[in-house]
Amino acid sequence: MAIRSRVLSHWAAAACALGLGAPAFAQADPAAALDGLSQASAQVAPGMALARRQIGDGDLMGALATLERVLIGHADADGALMLHASLLCRLDDRDGARAELGALERPVAGRDWAEVTAACGPLPRPGRGG
Amino acid sequence: MRRFAPRGRRARLLIAAAALSLAGAGIAAGAPQVIGINSAVLNNVRIRSAGAATAHTAVVRQRVALADEVQTGGRSQLQVLLLDKSVFTVGANARLTIDRYVYDPDRGTRAMGASVVKGAFRFMSGRPDARGSSAIRTPVATIGIRGTILDGVVGEEAVRIAAGEPGVGPNVRSDPATASLVVLRGPGRSAQGRVVPGVIDVTAGNRTVTIDRPMRAVYVPRPGAAPIGPFVLSPRGLLQLQALIFPSLAPRFGFAPEQAGLPAYPGETNPPRGRIFPPGGYPGESGPPARPGSYVPAIPQGTFDQQGGRQRPPSDAASAPNTMTAPPAPQSVSAPTPTPTPVPSPTPGANGKP
Repeated sequence: MAIRSRVLSHWAAAACALGLGAPAFAQADPAAALDGLSQASAQVAPGMALARRQIGDGDLMGALATLERVLIGHADADGALMLHASLLCRLDDRDGARAELGALERPVAGRDWAEVTAACGPLPRPGRGG
Repeated sequence: MRRFAPRGRRARLLIAAAALSLAGAGIAAGAPQVIGINSAVLNNVRIRSAGAATAHTAVVRQRVALADEVQTGGRSQLQVLLLDKSVFTVGANARLTIDRYVYDPDRGTRAMGASVVKGAFRFMSGRPDARGSSAIRTPVATIGIRGTILDGVVGEEAVRIAAGEPGVGPNVRSDPATASLVVLRGPGRSAQGRVVPGVIDVTAGNRTVTIDRPMRAVYVPRPGAAPIGPFVLSPRGLLQLQALIFPSLAPRFGFAPEQAGLPAYPGETNPPRGRIFPPGGYPGESGPPARPGSYVPAIPQGTFDQQGGRQRPPSDAASAPNTMTAPPAPQSVSAPTPTPTPVPSPTPGANGKP
């Protein structure tokens, strides 16, 4: 019994000595929490879903960053562009939003456009000649 | 029978364990400080770590360390997500270094310092409740940041955009290597969500201009010059800036994709290059003479369609006053000039696109 206790104490001491370095290793990747945000915005649909969750949480700037990641990889994602523009309006940058919406040339769905106008006010709808 | 190691062996075991522990701690202490990740990469982006002789190709979700030097190629872009969720986006042909970063999530403090020596960028503050100071330096100005979204551009493109702005005009003497244009994008006072209204202080030439409304811009044309502005950035100027920060969107904004790093105006085949400013300045002009080689850019002809951002036939876009004045400065702060460090040119074809 005594022998077992001494063995355990030696291994415990060794483990403690190793433990001195453990916090440093544990902090080696403080950015791990950011990977999910990047990964989720690599594709349009998951990126839009993440942005809407962030909007629901009141994190409008986080959602803006998410949509920008989406648009970096998918410049033709009209839905992301419209949601991005509506967020600019909600952040009180209506001029910036209008400039972005000017890039829309294809007709847009009524529900998507309703979200934009709810945030930005009345605007000429793309693809309808006005 | 002995069931545990002899005394000498036990001692060696403990010494080895302690040495391993100290070595681990040493490795961690000597490792570069991770401050964020490459959250999105478009085309040709290279990063040179502090002290490294060569740069490596940036890939998505790679860690970004303090003092890493980012260089983007043409039609390229990088978004860096920092630990506090602040976001730095750099556009084509840009160079950026984040040389100061402190974030303590428990205490809610954050401090960031970055240098942009070339190209277009966007910065968005992270946690709105975090306290601390953040600043971005360009070769001619320091931008103090208080919870905000801001866009900026350094170099020839800043000269080009500013020259088309009624708030600046074509006759300002500019240094195409260092001129800097900064615009506040938000949040404004009427913003929703968990944000605080954004404010930036642009300091140059011993003067500080404070901007607290979206779309207000400041232009610093050359080293030692006071900021010009604030003025309202035109929709055309904004789209030019957006095309630089987001080169993948440049065609949608009406800019030729092959010139995303140096965009022509929509429908234009020969972008304005400006004219060489005569050494000594033009007759009757006040202020110190421009250095040889600096220039006054030509103003693009045509008007801007606010709805579509498209160029129309030439008309009245050329008239603009020369505004070499700045409002009274609330304080004077010296603007240290970052020392640019050359990075090997990015390798064409490298692609870390997500």
